[in-house]
Amino acid sequence: MSFLLPCPNCGNRSVYEFRFGNEFKPRPSLEEPLDAWTDYSYMKKNEAGVQKEWWFHRSGCRQWFLAVRNTVTNEVFQTFFPEDDPNTNEVAPAG
Amino acid sequence: MKTFYFDGKPYTAEEGDTIASALYRAGVRVFSRSFKYHRPRGLLCAAGKCPNCLVDVDGAANVRACTEQVRDGAIVTHQNASPSLKHDMLSVAGLADWLMPIGFYYKTFTHPAAWKMVEPLIRRAAGIGKVKHPVLNDHDDVIKATRGYRYEHVYLHADKAIIGGGPAGMIEALKAAEEGLDVVLVDDQPELGGNLRFRSDVRDPDGNLLDTDALIEQIDAAPNIRVLSENSCFGIYEGNLLGLLHKTRRGDEHVEQLIKLRAGHVTVATGCFEIPLVFKNNDLPGVMLSTAVQRLVNLHGIKVAESAVVVSPLADGGEVAADLKRAGVEIAAVVHPSEVVAANGRGQVREIQTEEETISCDLIVVCGPMLPEAGLLAQGGGEVVWDAELDSYLPRDLPAGLSAVGDVTGTVFAIQRHTHSSDLLPKELDSRRPKSIVCYCEDVTPKDLCNGIAEGFDHIQTLKRYSTATMGPCQGKMCHLATAAVCSKMNETTLAETGRTTSRPPSPAVSLGALAGRKLHPLKRTPLHRKHEEHNVVWVELSHWERPRYYRIGDKSEKHCVQQEYVNVRERVGLVDVSTLGKLEVKGANAGELLDKVYTNKLSTLRVGRMRYSIICDDTATILDDGTVSRLADDHYFITTTTSNVDFVQQWLDWWKADTGWSVHVTNVTGGFGALNVAGPHAREVLSQLTDCDLNKKAFPYMACREAVVADVPCRLLRIGFTGETGWEIHFPAECGEHLWESIMRAGESFGIRPFGVEAQRTLRLEKMHVIVSADTDATSSPYGADLEFAVKLDKDDFIGKPAMMRLNQAELHEKLIGFEVQSSDVPEEGSMVVHEGLPAGRITSSRHSAVKDKPIGLAWIAAELAQPGRTIEIQSNGHTLKAVLTTEVFYDPDGSRVRA
Repeated sequence: MSFLLPCPNCGNRSVYEFRFGNEFKPRPSLEEPLDAWTDYSYMKKNEAGVQKEWWFHRSGCRQWFLAVRNTVTNEVFQTFFPEDDPNTNEVAPAG
Repeated sequence: MKTFYFDGKPYTAEEGDTIASALYRAGVRVFSRSFKYHRPRGLLCAAGKCPNCLVDVDGAANVRACTEQVRDGAIVTHQNASPSLKHDMLSVAGLADWLMPIGFYYKTFTHPAAWKMVEPLIRRAAGIGKVKHPVLNDHDDVIKATRGYRYEHVYLHADKAIIGGGPAGMIEALKAAEEGLDVVLVDDQPELGGNLRFRSDVRDPDGNLLDTDALIEQIDAAPNIRVLSENSCFGIYEGNLLGLLHKTRRGDEHVEQLIKLRAGHVTVATGCFEIPLVFKNNDLPGVMLSTAVQRLVNLHGIKVAESAVVVSPLADGGEVAADLKRAGVEIAAVVHPSEVVAANGRGQVREIQTEEETISCDLIVVCGPMLPEAGLLAQGGGEVVWDAELDSYLPRDLPAGLSAVGDVTGTVFAIQRHTHSSDLLPKELDSRRPKSIVCYCEDVTPKDLCNGIAEGFDHIQTLKRYSTATMGPCQGKMCHLATAAVCSKMNETTLAETGRTTSRPPSPAVSLGALAGRKLHPLKRTPLHRKHEEHNVVWVELSHWERPRYYRIGDKSEKHCVQQEYVNVRERVGLVDVSTLGKLEVKGANAGELLDKVYTNKLSTLRVGRMRYSIICDDTATILDDGTVSRLADDHYFITTTTSNVDFVQQWLDWWKADTGWSVHVTNVTGGFGALNVAGPHAREVLSQLTDCDLNKKAFPYMACREAVVADVPCRLLRIGFTGETGWEIHFPAECGEHLWESIMRAGESFGIRPFGVEAQRTLRLEKMHVIVSADTDATSSPYGADLEFAVKLDKDDFIGKPAMMRLNQAELHEKLIGFEVQSSDVPEEGSMVVHEGLPAGRITSSRHSAVKDKPIGLAWIAAELAQPGRTIEIQSNGHTLKAVLTTEVFYDPDGSRVRA
């Protein structure tokens, strides 16, 4: 694995500069049933294809951001800070 | 003139000599013994492709003598032969081949006991070089084993990288340079030129003779071309990342550089290479590839033989025959490849046997098929397929960002003069003796492959794995086509249908040292490092920090010294360096909200000047970290974390902050602040001499925090009680550390102040049953089991872990963390098992001898139904069974009156 990841701050960098934060999963609200929480805490889609996921630029600007990446080819389509994501209402790290 | 030693005998080398060329000039013909049958092997490719000249150079195993430049004084020894290359007793293995048919490993040693018995014998008999230091226990061993070696990592970037410094690569580099690109030209030879260096007659596709010197001059003149000579590219990785290996010397040291070259575009110009033909005794020293002969003759000026037979489809033997004649070698005959039956001789070629006759000679020059060096293209995502018309593998469908130029593309204008693939194999594949060799690395014969196919491993991929052909040091360079040819012949398919095995990096091999890089060992020191040294400190390394374990008193034992430090804290006053604590500043209008969300405690209601012990959990209620949170101002909190976790906690806080839009900032100030803990009954008297801050019990109660000047230094004082005594944690600007230490030590002198280390601190805290996260907790520990629910506020709004904790709060626990007192004097080892009625029922996480209880104490995770105070449990430690009584009462000062005093 040695692809380049474009940090929204710093631009294209080696993926080794980053910490992977898992697939993006909205955190359920307190009222939601146990199933939703179990799913959120323990289940991963493990998508073979395009997914939205968290990254942290550890050896750079030290910012969390989101990337849309094909997990099979490692093609990165978009990276953005969470507040710049037009499709998100709620954002949460995957435990 | 350089001198080096081969098996103890001195040899001289001329300018530009490799170890192999110098030895060959001096008459050495046998360079190694083969992997399995210990057959003598001589130079074959002389280009670093085959396994025949692997030697040990200065203790480094498996060095290719044919590409290794001679170093003055180098110690070169042979491998895999005993007692000598000439007389190898293990060559009897060749006669016992019937005992070792293909797959004999898998068939014979199926019983573990049998394998255990035979394995060491096989390992001794078979193989290549030996690793000098097979066991490396710690960092010091690594330092010793790699003395004289330096491994470095280098990072390079380029618009365009070109692999191969032959004519095609050079022309491509010049073209790219003209376009203004930043070009890196990578070549594995000492000088640019590729095959122009050793061939006399190379022409471009239009038939013009190529002029190396002119090309090199232009390359040198181009400011935007960087040439990396003697750099072998061992792999191409995702995102056009190239792995290069560069071996050189600096002073007394061997230097291996692993270069990670990232290129916008990669052009592969690796050319083609020659492979041997398969006939009886085709691996006999003296059977050499034509390009190898040309290198020895034209590059090194060696008269390679007296009388040579050239195996070539060209009637006059082509270019190599002309070169040989010029060097004064008699051409005994030119034999068509289809005519060759065997090479004969003992340890050295004496004659060649053809269909018609036997011709004496001392060299057989094989003009084998030329194949494109397309491994990098295959790794990079291209396809490499057999083209029957061109009689070669051809790369195609290269991905964007990767291209190929020159001979590697298959436009090989040299192919015609070499053997057609149909003449590669002997007519009979399954003759046993004399052997013909397909795979030089692993001693695989055509008969082995036929047997493998007959046993059902008829796909090229399964045949490879079963026979190990193509899996040796040459990674199939020499044998891939022959293996595929046997496979296709037996299966009656075409070479195109047979396909190829997968080309994977690294090829050529890369030493583990080069991959590991420099022998660096990160180490952090506190601002008080020198002060500790003044007190005869004994260090312990914890999470990369060097921390005082204890301070030595004369020649007294560790136990004695730790005991003294302990007593001093309990009875007088002690000073401990806690600079390694993680320290975070959380500032901003929403600081309280962020901490409420992440910590289990309620921190937004914390009054300024107060602090709270708090824990962080994830949404499964697993404890991630603990520490204190102090409120210095409405919008300013100061957090301490466990030593190893500060990075994680900062990232965790930032993560949960992302997308909230909150106005809050988390800054890691671990290095900026040093910290000391003054603890003991006299702590207040010591500290009050140095500050105007009112340290009185009322003015500065337990779990309060103040900003105050101590010994003229602006500090943060946190009143905590990790040790169980009255004490203050003093956080100060790191640069003032030594001044503060000295001031406190002076102020404490009349009270008997002494520094104490991690060992004493651990006993002090264990007597207070204070949990150390990640020592007493693990990835399954919740605040409920760990008896930390006092730090969980379920009545606050949602926070990380709340839903899980609400359920845990109702549910029955499986395990609990509970204290124990051992009923004898043996301290159980941490990690020991707790046993109940012969079954495992828990584990010890902390244990120490307690002075106050005068017996060993500790903390253990125990099955919930057993975890009742007063119950006796059994601990298995070091083969003994110890009895211990469980207790929930804190061992020392259970009502906390001392810590609040």
